[in-house]
Amino acid sequence: MDSSNDEALDIIITNVVATFRVRCHLNLRTIALEGNNVIYKPDCGKVLMKLRKPKITASIWSSGKIICTGATSEDDAKLGARRLARVLQKLGFRVRFSAFKVVNVLAVCSMPFSIALIDFTVNNRPIASYEPELHPAATYRIKHIKATVQVFSTGSITVTGPNVQTVATAVEQVYPLLFECRKPLRK
Amino acid sequence: MSASVTRCPGCGSSNIVDDDLYCQAQRVCVDCGSVVSEGVLTDDWTGDTEISYSRTTAVARKPCLNLIKGLQRVKAICRILRVNNEIENHSQAYYTQAYQHDAFIRVSLQKKEVLAGCCVLVSCRLLNWPVTMGTISCLLDADPVVVGAVYQEMIKILNIKAPVFIINDVMEAHSQEYKISSLHVPEELAENSRDLTKRAVALVELAADTWIVTGRHPTPIMMASIYLSWQSLKPNKHRLKLTLDKFCQMAKVNKLKPAMKRIAEMKEVLCKLGREIPWVREAVTPDNVMQQVEDILNYRFALLRRALRTHEETLQAESEASGEDSLPEEAASSQVAEHGEQNSNAPTAEEYELNAESAQRPRDGNDDPHTEPEGNTGGGESQAPAPNWGKRVLFAPPCVVHPKRRRVERPECKDVTGDEDISDSEIDSYIRTPREAREFAQTQKMLSESEKT
Repeated sequence: MDSSNDEALDIIITNVVATFRVRCHLNLRTIALEGNNVIYKPDCGKVLMKLRKPKITASIWSSGKIICTGATSEDDAKLGARRLARVLQKLGFRVRFSAFKVVNVLAVCSMPFSIALIDFTVNNRPIASYEPELHPAATYRIKHIKATVQVFSTGSITVTGPNVQTVATAVEQVYPLLFECRKPLRK
Repeated sequence: MSASVTRCPGCGSSNIVDDDLYCQAQRVCVDCGSVVSEGVLTDDWTGDTEISYSRTTAVARKPCLNLIKGLQRVKAICRILRVNNEIENHSQAYYTQAYQHDAFIRVSLQKKEVLAGCCVLVSCRLLNWPVTMGTISCLLDADPVVVGAVYQEMIKILNIKAPVFIINDVMEAHSQEYKISSLHVPEELAENSRDLTKRAVALVELAADTWIVTGRHPTPIMMASIYLSWQSLKPNKHRLKLTLDKFCQMAKVNKLKPAMKRIAEMKEVLCKLGREIPWVREAVTPDNVMQQVEDILNYRFALLRRALRTHEETLQAESEASGEDSLPEEAASSQVAEHGEQNSNAPTAEEYELNAESAQRPRDGNDDPHTEPEGNTGGGESQAPAPNWGKRVLFAPPCVVHPKRRRVERPECKDVTGDEDISDSEIDSYIRTPREAREFAQTQKMLSESEKT
């Protein structure tokens, strides 16, 4: 009756990666010269611009394609992208904001129990793989929603997927499997 | 054509002879030379068997040279590792299969060599003769990351269910590498590998129970456990004084840096257990714990239980002494945690309601009942009111005991929609004024000129 048995699992989004286009050629030197908070990388052919308000780093290519990383939500990413487009517009380019797409979302979540990774791997072969010599976490790839969950033995998991909804679904899917292989938190 | 056509249509003579032109039968008139009749030059194609051009013109088909070389490399690796015939045959079969798959047929020869090593690795694992990936990368002189990537791809393609790497199995093979038998070193420093392995395996099991092994690279742990077991088998001054550096030099192995940290962690665990031994009067410190290691390992389960009970009693005594209400019943504390979350200032946390009735109560055998709610609050708030479960349990992974500080989330980001208006003033802060731009250009010019000179 009362929800004292419900437990909220905090899924904390740590990074959202989005791309968009401005539909015009950009002169990277002008941006590097007239822009604040800008790092020019001629060897990679791009300019890194960092915004303060949504804390975002954008890689700007001369073709007009831009990748934004560092946002903490999809809307934040969109706002940051639009801010960036406005800055470029002010710098004198004929900018049209288009093709905004969130490409990758990274979230972390902490289970209230530890996990026995070897049991988890054995129960979920071949979707799960664990090579302790290569990486300390077991990787669980959910193909149909294109999400990857990395499970650590302390109970933390990191989830990456193409959007926030996928990430939530992935956690939902993987929770019962983790729960089966939990370790009592004693030693 | 009847053979008795007697008259030539040209001149009318009947002097007609058979005069074949190469392989074509022809009948020719002798007087005027005209061809009276001729046979068919070739047979009609009867459509028996369709044989392709490449097949008719090919010489005897040979198997791919690189495949043969690769199989020989597989054999060589197996011989170096001295595995049995079955493993050798399996690896060769896997190699042939993987080599001809699309994913590996066109890769570089270097990668094909790595593939050979991975085939040996997987056969060893399947047939219970575990070898570490480090050994294989050493043999191939390849980057361990590349070896790992090829290994995982190969497993996926060939659909192999290889057993997971377990450190205890590899322990024996690893300890053979250490040259500290009486043939190689003076008698007082020598140790036979069987005793060494046995004790090292016990140490590793203890480490696994106390959160030292999980999530760490196995080789430094093995090195640390061998070093500690060597010291504890004869804990005299000479051995105790020998550092890991010197030990590795003596045993002719390459020292691994993380092994030092593992040694410290294991010694700490041994001290915690050593304190519980009833017949030890003096204080147990990392310096004098090595003498007690044999007893600790023999009675480690009992000592673990005692240590946990003592720890629990200490915690209870502390909380009663402080008189706070910091040890609520489980249900109440989870209620507090829930309310805390709903009003909390962890704004970017998306709350996900779950029905996890039995998740709240950890399984039986949990000597530490206070760890439960912290999993929820620990992630979101940076100033958590109670320490995380690492601080309150006796044994916890170091990453939990000393957690990384997560950056504090800003509360105003909650109401962003993405389509708001953007004011000009904030955009201007990202653009340099013309004067600033000119000065910047000048400074750059000056800097580049001074670099040239």
